[in-house]
Amino acid sequence: MCPDEPVAGGPGAGGPGAGGPVAGGPVRVVLADDHPIWREAVERDLVAAGIVVVGTAGDGDKAVRVVTATTPDVLVCDLQMPGRSGVEVTVAVAGLTRVLVLSASGEQADVLEAVKAGATGYLLKSASAADLVDAVRRTAAGDAVFTPGLAGLVLGEYRRTAAEDGAPKLTARETEVLRLVAKGLTARQVAERLGLSHRTVENHVQNTLSKLQLHNRAQLVRYAVEKGLAD
Amino acid sequence: MRLDTALWRALAVYRLAALLYAAVSMVAYTDRYARPGLGWGVLAAMALWTAAAAYLYADRRRRRWPLLVLDLAITVAALLSSGLVLYADRIEAGDPTLTVSWAAAPVVAWAIWSGWLGGGVAATAVGVAAIVERGGASQATVNSLVLLLLLGCVVGYVVQLARRAEVAYAEAVALQAATAERERLSRQVHDGVLQALALVSRRGDPELAALAAEQEAALRRLVGAATGPLPVGTSELVALLPGGADLRLAAPADPVLLPAGVAAELAAAVGAAVDNARRHGGDSVWLLVEDDLDAVTVTVRDDGPGIPAGRLAEAERDGRLGVAQSIRGRVRDLGGTVCVESTPGQGTEVELRVPR
Repeated sequence: MCPDEPVAGGPGAGGPGAGGPVAGGPVRVVLADDHPIWREAVERDLVAAGIVVVGTAGDGDKAVRVVTATTPDVLVCDLQMPGRSGVEVTVAVAGLTRVLVLSASGEQADVLEAVKAGATGYLLKSASAADLVDAVRRTAAGDAVFTPGLAGLVLGEYRRTAAEDGAPKLTARETEVLRLVAKGLTARQVAERLGLSHRTVENHVQNTLSKLQLHNRAQLVRYAVEKGLAD
Repeated sequence: MRLDTALWRALAVYRLAALLYAAVSMVAYTDRYARPGLGWGVLAAMALWTAAAAYLYADRRRRRWPLLVLDLAITVAALLSSGLVLYADRIEAGDPTLTVSWAAAPVVAWAIWSGWLGGGVAATAVGVAAIVERGGASQATVNSLVLLLLLGCVVGYVVQLARRAEVAYAEAVALQAATAERERLSRQVHDGVLQALALVSRRGDPELAALAAEQEAALRRLVGAATGPLPVGTSELVALLPGGADLRLAAPADPVLLPAGVAAELAAAVGAAVDNARRHGGDSVWLLVEDDLDAVTVTVRDDGPGIPAGRLAEAERDGRLGVAQSIRGRVRDLGGTVCVESTPGQGTEVELRVPR
């Protein structure tokens, strides 16, 4: 687990070594998806927008190898792949790059797992090319790509674990912000409605994500320790 | 059914073993019989019936009440015949009857056939016959009656349980096969059709794109429904909600389970709210589904111009929000509440909240 997981904080807070585009340079991306047609289509869209695709992978294992070799700014990753799944890839490349999950269908449970494992963005495959390019750029900048769908998932996860001991809790303000995002309001609209600054809204949103990821990591460590002691 | 075949076969084996025991017993006691010849005759009849019963019970169509009554009658007759074969004083002294444990066979047959009650009835018949045979109730005869009753009821009860378990097992196997098949299908749909539709919805001309997105959403819901069986009488709310290219759905990862009727009504109310939003709103409609411990909330938001605060209450008072009224009615019937909120420039939100 890497201390400078590219989650908390705004642009530039990712820290050195966590990827992050070289100032002024193009965003470097690795594309992992097991459907060649789809991969090519996405690659064309990204290249047309001036994004550099430094590698592609058709399965999870190759995705991890390519990311390790190229340390891109962003890994755009399908969830269902042969070999390692998108969730497992997300875990494996933590600290090397930021992960934007591109999910094809109602794989909500998997999306949630990927997000808890460290992915900072989630986009449906049917999103437009412009949305995709925007999401890649924002992920590279260290922002969470917080679609309404993701906000709904995160809200649901906090509610599900509400009764559990030691589970992270949302503050009233965070709940308010998440609900508005889930209802499709832009960060600017949320800020306007709640009388907050745009930055504060972004921070609230990122906090909800990093709390989940932190808790997930703590649970994984505890699980590993327990398993280690039992063996 | 396999269980029944096995049970009836086991009964035939029991009857044969009990017959052998009766034969050995007869060899040992035959010098104390009043009419040994008749005794051998009864044993021959018992052997005949053992073979006949094995044959008759083997076919499911013959396993009906005449056969079971006949079985019981023959057994009771064989039991009572001891009175003719043995000396009366030997019977009262407790010498074994001709049938010994062979007499328990119809008790088991009745128990298999109609459960613990049938087992009990047959046990009573055989037990009472034995008491009559011995010329009155004694500790030994009452004991054997109780044992027979126990046998009949326990076997009957266990058979009923086993039968239920067999049915449940068969259902589980069928369900598993169906689920596996659906998963295989959903995998294929996911890998092929959904990818192509998603691509078309991104690259096609607007009309085609909208159509592809709609079909993709519909297929996705269909395939998503393959997550396994739901508890009886419940529905998954999200699967029932309206779809469309202009709908943006935000929902928890876990299924939102509600009683089937509640889910259907709530989904219908949401449908009405979505229609309303499409009529008066902008280009997109957002749906947020929230599942609390005590309530399920669905919020429908459009990105239309919104309604100024005063105008909303006014419009509702004047009955001009017809659709809103029907939404309210449906949700109120479920014990829930509807809250309409509008911020100029940020669209209108209709929040439907139904308690769990």
